[in-house]
Amino acid sequence: MKTYWLEIDGRPVKVLAEKLAGKLWYHMDGETRVYEPESKYASGKSSRASATPGVIAAPMPGKIIKVFCEQGDFVKVGQVVVTMEAMKMEYSLESNIEGVVTAANFKSGDQVAVGQEIVKVEAADG
Amino acid sequence: MQNFKKVAIANRGEVAVRIIRACQELGIKTLLLHSEPDSKTVAWRMADETVCIGPATTIESYLNIESNIEAARSHGADAIHPGFGFLSENAAFARACEDAGMVFIGPSSQSIDLFGDKISAKNLVEKAGGPVIPGYQGEDQSEATLLEKIAEIGFPCIVKAAAGGGGRGLKVITAMEEAKGAIEASKREGLSAFGSDKVFLEKYLDAAKHIELQIFGDASGEVFCLGERECSVQRRHQKIIEEALSPALDEKLRREMTDVAVKIGKAANYRGAGTVEFLLQGQEFYFLEMNTRLQVEHPVTELVCGVDLVKAQINTAQGHSVSWAQQPTFHGHSLECRLYAEDPYQMGIPSTGLLGSCHWPHGPGRRFEVGFEPGDEVTSFYDPMIAKIIVWDESRPRAIRKMRQVLRETVIFGVKTNIPLLIEILDHPEFTSGEMTTKFIEKNFSKTLIDYGLDDSQKRAVQGLYQRVGDSGPNEFSGSTSFLPNPFLQSWGSRR
Repeated sequence: MKTYWLEIDGRPVKVLAEKLAGKLWYHMDGETRVYEPESKYASGKSSRASATPGVIAAPMPGKIIKVFCEQGDFVKVGQVVVTMEAMKMEYSLESNIEGVVTAANFKSGDQVAVGQEIVKVEAADG
Repeated sequence: MQNFKKVAIANRGEVAVRIIRACQELGIKTLLLHSEPDSKTVAWRMADETVCIGPATTIESYLNIESNIEAARSHGADAIHPGFGFLSENAAFARACEDAGMVFIGPSSQSIDLFGDKISAKNLVEKAGGPVIPGYQGEDQSEATLLEKIAEIGFPCIVKAAAGGGGRGLKVITAMEEAKGAIEASKREGLSAFGSDKVFLEKYLDAAKHIELQIFGDASGEVFCLGERECSVQRRHQKIIEEALSPALDEKLRREMTDVAVKIGKAANYRGAGTVEFLLQGQEFYFLEMNTRLQVEHPVTELVCGVDLVKAQINTAQGHSVSWAQQPTFHGHSLECRLYAEDPYQMGIPSTGLLGSCHWPHGPGRRFEVGFEPGDEVTSFYDPMIAKIIVWDESRPRAIRKMRQVLRETVIFGVKTNIPLLIEILDHPEFTSGEMTTKFIEKNFSKTLIDYGLDDSQKRAVQGLYQRVGDSGPNEFSGSTSFLPNPFLQSWGSRR
């Protein structure tokens, strides 16, 4: 970590920063943040806790405890479709749309990586 | 009486470091019993000796009684300190220590048995005249019986792993249709975390504070009470911020709760550090559980009482009495924040990875309990708590202000932490007024924290900085290596 002085709106601002694996970690104004250039990672956004409608993906690496739906099942918004365990805690993943399950790719005990699609739902009116 | 020459530590992270420091100050050698990935931790570097007791999975390492005992015995340890979590409240482990000729640093296996099973604990408290919450603690664990009892207790109620501590295996049921799923989940978590699927049920108090009393039974049989801690700031039943003393107790209530806590300790012939947890709603308090071990949040008690609980544990296990006053004098106010490796802007999902540089802003009344250093890896195998920050100041408002300042100065690179959430909590009027209940987080922080981000000129400055920090320089991590470049290692390398 090194100290840098940046000029922001004509004022000197002290920033502590370090680049780790291509990402810039910096501490400014009492908060630590991460910056990565957008172009490089624009296509990698789907690895985040999924906001894609109908895709229920693992928000973190972990183990599947139970999948509560099968292909063809009808699910509602907010209905728990999967429970998984990570870091000793159980997490419930809910469907973010109403519709029919078109894929349920995992079973109890399976390991999943972050961003991996666990259940896919097709919108009911689609 | 006995003087230990070597103490084995059956734990990891910051608590292992805490125990090693206490042993060093007492002139006792340390032996760290660790899992495979934990050879890259502060405790591993500090211990006099280390033994690997198994792979990452806790059931094969930190929860494996045989390999812990065997490693400690074969390396000549006189005693084992279990820390907290893992085997710390496992009576079979305490007995196995004794059978192998080593001292278990903690209460007797009978005490652990008594309190470890929440059901027999409640029975003891009831007999000692302590107040308990309505619930079901029976042996009949059939689904039909549990469902029937849930209907009797009413909603909301909770189902909880009988062998559990903290929030493991605990589910809140607000309506009958949730009951079946909650029981199943609780049994499952209990089985995987503690090897027992026994559960119990109880009424859920919805505006209660979590108040716990620190008790300590010394070698002469005396039971001390070192005041209370308030741990109402909890999320998913895991504590986030703790403090001593509680802003909610007056002298009268403190005396009442102290009396009950000491009575419970005496009834059990309790030896060592223990915590009697209560829920306090209005002026009514109910026994929750007794933890027969050191607590994560023990430092706040140490700071307001002027004691060292870990050294006291070790001394007690050696048969020495403590020299405390029966009525402790409390001094100032202490707060603890638990630092979790998680992303507060993404619903608190765990953040794992290689730790980069860190900065801990030391100063008067600031204590940092840290288990990792730059270059160490935060994995998803264990609890996401990577450090604790504890502050002391003359009053509660000053302690809050100090903690806020310390959190703003603390820098951790490489994994995201809950520091932004901690600061928001410290700023919340319900917290500063001291009125928070165990519902505080759920009520005020149930949604993910909103990141207001940077303004345009800040963004431009950071983009410029990205180019400047560039690809060279001694602070650069390359993605695949697991250690920070160490200048000493590098100069050795160039000589070869």
